[in-house]
Amino acid sequence: MISQKTILKHPLSVRIFHYLLILSFLPLAVTGVFLYFKPLSESAMNLTMQIHVVAGVVLTLDAIAFFLIGFNRVVLFLKRIFYFSINDIKWFAILGGYPQKILLRKKVVVPSMGKYNSGQKLFGICVLIGGTILIFTGWILWALPHLMPREAVSLLGTLHTFFAWVLTLFLLVHLFLGIYMFDDFKAMILHGKIPYDEAKEMAPLWVEKEIISISENSY
Amino acid sequence: MEKQSYQYIENPLHVTRREFITIGGIVAAFLALPAVWIKMVTSSNNNYILARTKGLYRDDEKASIRVSHANKSVARYYKEFGGEPLGHLSHELLHTKYINRTKGLS
Repeated sequence: MISQKTILKHPLSVRIFHYLLILSFLPLAVTGVFLYFKPLSESAMNLTMQIHVVAGVVLTLDAIAFFLIGFNRVVLFLKRIFYFSINDIKWFAILGGYPQKILLRKKVVVPSMGKYNSGQKLFGICVLIGGTILIFTGWILWALPHLMPREAVSLLGTLHTFFAWVLTLFLLVHLFLGIYMFDDFKAMILHGKIPYDEAKEMAPLWVEKEIISISENSY
Repeated sequence: MEKQSYQYIENPLHVTRREFITIGGIVAAFLALPAVWIKMVTSSNNNYILARTKGLYRDDEKASIRVSHANKSVARYYKEFGGEPLGHLSHELLHTKYINRTKGLS
């Protein structure tokens, strides 16, 4: 029998951070690709650059606000994405069972995972490091290039382009799997909740070690 | 206010105080690294500017003619050819116009 019990997986603060991330990073990725290939007229490229800058400012404010307001969640996120075990190697060996499930419609045994599976951990590390570098380099390239030596600005430009491509390509995978895991998609976009049974199957270690019932939470 | 229609949450004490301080400290240290780097490169950048400024002042002190109106060649140009400073001919010959060169550079 399927239980109706749910877990609050993504609190409101995380969802708001993620909404603003969608609103800023998607335009950044699209305009970034246009800025790289320059397919439009001069005036259209100028407009593209302006959109890129505005979205970059929104992303920066979103990241700083979440860092300051939700620092405990940032610490928790870091603890989770940088914790590795033998299960992560086993997970990558079968890529979490997704190719078998999607391409062959075959279910394979997947090692037990915490809140984030190994692929999500890798994505989290890329987003954290790449995102920080993109924000940092973006601001210097836009607002402060005159303060830096030419070689340093050139190096920052190369770093900005490299990490922008890494995150943009990773974003395509994230969008696909994010929507494929539809309960998780609804939790992040709508209400924050995920069915208990689903969580127990997808993230057994998380449910076992980190989840408590509300009645137990009397701190 | 979020409606509590769920029965389970994450344990808010999952991160211990020791872990919180350690991870928070590492984050702060990593964020301080770019600040140190910027300080280094901008200060060396300012060294070039300061050296250039110093050189220009030194050249200026050494120069026998330090103002344009005392330059004999300029005075001769106006007397024999250009007419007067800011005159029509001087404006045509000596003033430059803005040309967009960004396309050529990209």
